[in-house]
Amino acid sequence: MNINKITNGNELAIALEGRLDTATAPRLEAELNQSIGGVEKLVFDFASLEYLSSAGLRVLLSAQKIMNKQGKMTVKNVNETIMEIFEVTGFCDVLTIE
Amino acid sequence: MIRISHLKKEYPNATPLKDVNVEINKGDVISIIGPSGTGKSTLIRCINRLETPTSGEIWVDGKCITDKKCDLNKVRQKMGMVFQSFNLFNHMNVIENIMAAPMDLLKKSKQQAYDDGMKLLRTVGLADKAFNYPDELSGGQKQRVAIARTLAMEPEIILFDEPTSALDPTMVGEVQAVIKDLAAKGLTMMIVTHEMRFAKEIANRVFYMDEGGIYEDGTPEQIFDNPQKEKTARFIKRIKVFESTVMSKDFDFIGFNTSLEEFGRRSGISQKAIYRMQSVFEELCVQIVMPELTGDFVLNVTAEYSQENDSVCVQMKFSGKHFNPMESDNILSLRLAQNAADSIEYSQCDDGEYTNLITAKIK
Repeated sequence: MNINKITNGNELAIALEGRLDTATAPRLEAELNQSIGGVEKLVFDFASLEYLSSAGLRVLLSAQKIMNKQGKMTVKNVNETIMEIFEVTGFCDVLTIE
Repeated sequence: MIRISHLKKEYPNATPLKDVNVEINKGDVISIIGPSGTGKSTLIRCINRLETPTSGEIWVDGKCITDKKCDLNKVRQKMGMVFQSFNLFNHMNVIENIMAAPMDLLKKSKQQAYDDGMKLLRTVGLADKAFNYPDELSGGQKQRVAIARTLAMEPEIILFDEPTSALDPTMVGEVQAVIKDLAAKGLTMMIVTHEMRFAKEIANRVFYMDEGGIYEDGTPEQIFDNPQKEKTARFIKRIKVFESTVMSKDFDFIGFNTSLEEFGRRSGISQKAIYRMQSVFEELCVQIVMPELTGDFVLNVTAEYSQENDSVCVQMKFSGKHFNPMESDNILSLRLAQNAADSIEYSQCDDGEYTNLITAKIK
C-alpha cells in the first residue's frame, strides 16, 4: 500500500493506494499517530484503494474518534467494493463519505 | 502386499470412508487425488493405524493389522510416513533426528545408525546439513530430512500425506525429485497430493477418491487423459485447487495473499471473488482464529474453483482446541466474512492434526 500525504496548514489529505489490511493497517496507524496532531480537517482519498479489511476499518474508526474531538474527517472517491464494506459494517453511518 | 476390504471410517459428523476395497501390490507407486474432504489422508492414516477404522479389514503381507491383537509397532516399522508438517524434533540436529528411531527400535549401534544416516542424507542431498538443527533449514530441506528419517527405518512401504503442500512453491521441486528417486528404486509408495502433474508423472496407479471410497482406480494415462467415470472427468478437467499451510502467527501474510491472487487469476476467477476469498481468510483465520491459537499450530487453507458451477469453496482446517469462529465476539470481522460468503459452516473434525473445519462458499 502507498500512503500519499499532503499537508496544507491544518488540513491533511491522505490518499491510499492498494490494500488496507492486516499487513498494512499498522503503517497507516503509525502515519496518523505522527501527523494527526493539530489537524482540523482530515480527508481520505480512496480512489485507488482496492481492498479494505477489518484491520483497516479499525484504524479509520480510531482516526474518526480523534477527529470528532478536533475537527472533521471525510472520506472521498469511495469505489463500489469499498462502499459495500462500509455498508455491511455500518461504517457509512459513522464516517462522512463524500 | 496390502489388501483392504470394506474399510469404513466414521467421525461424529462425517464419514470420509464408507466402503473401500482395494489391493496394493509390491512396488506400486500410487498417487491419491480427489477433492478436499474425500478421505485421502484418512485412508493412508488408517493403513498405518494412526486412525482406527470404524469397521473393515486391512491386511499387510498376510497379517490382519485391524485385528485388536496385532502389534502396531511391528506394523509401523514396515511402513514409513511422511507428513505435510515434517514433524522433526527441533531439539535434535539433523543426523540425531535420523539416528534416533533405528537405535531405539532396530537396535542399531550408534556408529551403524550414524553411517546409515549419513548415507541417506547423501541420497537426499543434505549430507552437509547433518549437524544443523531443523530451525536452520528451509521447508524443502526439512522435508528431505523427514524423508531420510523415514527411510532410516528401512520401511517396505512409505505413505506420504501431502508432502509438498506446506512448502513454498520454490521448494516443491526439490522434494518431488527426492520422492521420484525413491519411486525409481522400487519402494511401494502411496502419495496423497494436490499436485496433478507430479501425481501423473510419479505413479503407476492413481486412485481418484470421492463418494466415500476409491471412485476410480487406473493408470495415470487413464485417470488424467481418459477418465472413465463422470466425477473423475469433472475433477480432472474443472477443479482448480489452491492449498497452503500456515504454522506460525508470523507467517508471510503478503506472500499468502499474493499466491491466492495468482491462483485466482490463473483460474479465471473474478477480481471481486478473489477479494472475497482473501477477506474470508483474513477475517476468519487471521483476525479471529489465530489470536485464539496457542503454542504450535497448523492451519491449512484450500480453495477449490469449479469452472462448471463458477463457484469457489474455501476450506480452513486448524489444530488445537475446538473453537467455533462463528461464535466469536469479533463482530466486525464476522460481518465482513459473512458478507464475502454465501455460507460459512463450522464443524469439529478429527482429521489427523486438524480438529476444526470451516467451509465457506464464496459469493
